[in-house]
Amino acid sequence: MELCDYPAYQLVGMIRRKQVSAVEVLESALKRIGEVDGCPGQLDGNNQIEPDKIHSFITLTPERARSQAQKVDHAIAAGEDPGGLAGVPFTTKDIYCVKDTLTTAGSRILSNFTSPYTATPIERIEAQGGVLLGKVNQDEFAYGSSSESSAFLPTPRNPWNTDCVPGGSSGGSTAAVAVGEGCFSIGTDTAGSIRQPAAFCGVIGVKPTYSRVSRYGLIAFGSSLDCPGPITRNVQDAALVLRIISGADPKDSTAANLSVPNYLSELQTPIRGMRIGLSPDYFKITYLDAQSGEIQQEDIPAIMKDAVYRAAGRLAEMGADIVEDVPMQQTRYGIPAYFVISRVEAASNLHRFDGVKYGYRTRQAVSDVHEMYRKSRAEGFGLQPKLRILMGMYVSAAQYSEQYYLRALRVRTLIRQDFNEIFDPKGKYRLKALLTPTTPTTAFRMGDIYGDSVLMQYADQLTVPANHAGIPGISIPAGFDLQGLPIGVQLLGNDFAESELLRIAYAYEKVTEEDEWRTRKPPILTK
Amino acid sequence: MTEYEAIIGLETHIQLNTTTKIFCSCRADSWNDLPNTNICPVCTGLPGVLPVLNRAAVEKAILLAAAMHAEVQPISYFDRKNYFYPDLPKGYQISQYNMPVARGGYLELTMPDDTTKKVNIQKLHLEEDAGKTKNDFGRRLIDFNRCGVPLVEMVTAPDLRSADEAAQYLTRLRQLLRWIGISEANMEKGHLRCDANVSIRPIGVDYLNPKTEIKNVNSIVAVRDAIQTEIIRQTREVQLGHKIEAWTLEWDEERNVLRKMRSKETEADYRYFREPDLLQLVIDEQWKTETLKQLPELPLERRSRFIHQYRVPEYDADILTGERSLSEYFEEAVVIYQGDPKRVSNWLMNDVMRLINELGIPAGELKLKPTYLVEIIKMVDDNIINNSIGKTLIEKVQDTGKAPSTIVSEEGLALVSDTRTIEDTCKTVIAQNPQPVSNYQKGKTGLIGWFVGQVMKQMGGKADPQLIRQILEELLKQ
Repeated sequence: MELCDYPAYQLVGMIRRKQVSAVEVLESALKRIGEVDGCPGQLDGNNQIEPDKIHSFITLTPERARSQAQKVDHAIAAGEDPGGLAGVPFTTKDIYCVKDTLTTAGSRILSNFTSPYTATPIERIEAQGGVLLGKVNQDEFAYGSSSESSAFLPTPRNPWNTDCVPGGSSGGSTAAVAVGEGCFSIGTDTAGSIRQPAAFCGVIGVKPTYSRVSRYGLIAFGSSLDCPGPITRNVQDAALVLRIISGADPKDSTAANLSVPNYLSELQTPIRGMRIGLSPDYFKITYLDAQSGEIQQEDIPAIMKDAVYRAAGRLAEMGADIVEDVPMQQTRYGIPAYFVISRVEAASNLHRFDGVKYGYRTRQAVSDVHEMYRKSRAEGFGLQPKLRILMGMYVSAAQYSEQYYLRALRVRTLIRQDFNEIFDPKGKYRLKALLTPTTPTTAFRMGDIYGDSVLMQYADQLTVPANHAGIPGISIPAGFDLQGLPIGVQLLGNDFAESELLRIAYAYEKVTEEDEWRTRKPPILTK
Repeated sequence: MTEYEAIIGLETHIQLNTTTKIFCSCRADSWNDLPNTNICPVCTGLPGVLPVLNRAAVEKAILLAAAMHAEVQPISYFDRKNYFYPDLPKGYQISQYNMPVARGGYLELTMPDDTTKKVNIQKLHLEEDAGKTKNDFGRRLIDFNRCGVPLVEMVTAPDLRSADEAAQYLTRLRQLLRWIGISEANMEKGHLRCDANVSIRPIGVDYLNPKTEIKNVNSIVAVRDAIQTEIIRQTREVQLGHKIEAWTLEWDEERNVLRKMRSKETEADYRYFREPDLLQLVIDEQWKTETLKQLPELPLERRSRFIHQYRVPEYDADILTGERSLSEYFEEAVVIYQGDPKRVSNWLMNDVMRLINELGIPAGELKLKPTYLVEIIKMVDDNIINNSIGKTLIEKVQDTGKAPSTIVSEEGLALVSDTRTIEDTCKTVIAQNPQPVSNYQKGKTGLIGWFVGQVMKQMGGKADPQLIRQILEELLKQ
């Protein structure tokens, strides 16, 4: 085991005790990147190049990282407090602004944008001594579930099988964490963009309660759905990082003004007596028949369902009460409502990319400012932003808004009510968590779904309800399928119940510690 | 021939005079600053930034709502108004759409026939201003300083019936805005902007015809001229049997003509939706009550109180309540003076007002404090100085900031009350002017004024002319 494979919570202690230096840890992470990552994504790059590498990064910042690591080592030498993440290497999805660093959101339109400020979650990590390795790849503006829509090629690959996608949109983050390119990464989750790729890559992904973590500095996708959150290799690191990035922010008035628990110390509280639900509505996927418009339902693969039941059994061993047959009937409407709401917000959020102030501007001659807008946006945006602008403009137009946008908002309220009922402490179910599969399938092969935006979206069917409702969700590894690809299960909880979800996740991690599948490593690390 | 009446509604944008912008902490007032110096990532719409609502802007909107008798809404929302414009950095304006901060209300106008007209207000909403675009020989230069300056948009019902009424509405509104201290309300500087919706209809009917919208008018006189021009145009068109089309017009102030900007059919769909980056705006009773403690007595209320409480004529009351600081100055002086308020009003309206106009500062900033003014009036009342010395004292106090009594004693301005000194001077004047004396004694008694003048001159004006006259008349009889 190399230094970069250690959990963050252990590294902090080792660095503080001067058993290793922050610079040594950093060099270990940089060495790993050199071994497994291959070339970073670049504009007009080649997706076929180095197909056996991970390609997590868009921008590596080793110089910045070295100076941060040295600062930590100096602080320790001087007897100063180096912070709660002292010397821990990490990455961030390229959707977060980092001062004086290229911030692209995976898009050509921001391919030349260097941010003059740093996003709040990243600033908080750096203030605690975290060492930023660089910015990792993602779907363009986070619009996707495979990371294949980035304008920066090659796009990231799944460490367990590099012919498969890592998931998305935070696919660069989850792939990087899975192979030890940093102990953790900060992603964003708008419909499942942290949890789904975490499941595909066999790591832990936390989507906190909406408003738990400040969105300041996160390039907005669906502003009412976007949640920053940590991606880690173990539950303790998730608890450690979540505590540091959470809390009120004077720069984000929607960030909750609530105190932040010590998630890490609360992990030790046993889960005995906690009521954990299973819902049949999360064991099938619903889709609309393209011809008839009828709602069709299909069971998810048995192996995905079995993983959930197996996890439930292990949690029951730890004293949890498993409650079956919890109805979550609005789950099926999650994707259609999301289609509408996220696109209205996305289209509006993309308005600012107009070639006037920053970012890409057409090099063609233009006769007026409107032509400049049209050409800059036509050349600067990839297919996904364009589709989302078209759809978003359509469903929020004055004559269609009632039929689509306002209706979708009402559906969103109904989805929220499903959760209110199951988490109601005086209600019929009184659940502390709902245990579900994170995704309907394991990772799919690169190119298999890309291009079919509707089908791609169904990868988020089981994760998107939490975004509608604003509640927290965590995806944790729960075994492998027959092809050796990771399976993730998801825990959903009530508003601000991150601590309870993390406790359950930790209990599960403990009880499965000796399992065979826990010892597996991504094949790329054993080559 | 059919008689027509004009139906006018005004849409005003009021720039609030907060220290900082509505969604970030950049300074709001950039009047004296170079372009793009009061800007930050938030107001220039960099990727990833979020707005944070400035409570002071909300408080000023609450004050305005109260002054307009509008109902402050306990819950209101911000929305995005989406459109592309180079000086709108986010590509949408954060505004309020269907749940504004206040609804209803009215402004009362005093009509020439002394009746009052109520102009109803439909709604008041908060929003952010955009930047400024300047065309520079084929290049567009953009100044983002104004981005995010807080605005209240206030829309009237179509209650105005003439260009003069519209001008009067704006005059009253401007007075009110300054009075309650929420805006500098200077139209030339764009603190108060006005778009006018104009249509005409035959007198006696109750339907509304298609209206035109006049944009970008930046003085009250221009608003009146533009509306008047448009009423004449519409009347002529209708008389010619033409239909009025819903155009947007622009007023060219230099040529006094209206120009068509666009047809309304091409109007943009702004695709309003709730701004997800801001919470709902909750104004509870406590916040409202606390804010309204700053609301002063309003001009019309104060005007009528002055008439009743101090018995000043309506004309005086009008002028004295034209501006809040002046009205407060008057009242403070009256309270100190204890005598006839009309006497204070006379001094204020004649002499102090001239000073205010010359200096271009509000009454409250004069070095001539109300207590000094009263001291001067009292000295005149008590014959310590005469009227004309009183008037020069006003200037001297303003110049030096010294108390009137100090100046009087330093410069020896007090009237000579010793009749012996006056008599001596009179005798000297008589002795020096044998010819006029002889003329006077031959019956040219009109010369008495000339003699008084000579004595005043020799005494440096420091004597009561009435007394001089009495003494002179006595002496010249002999």
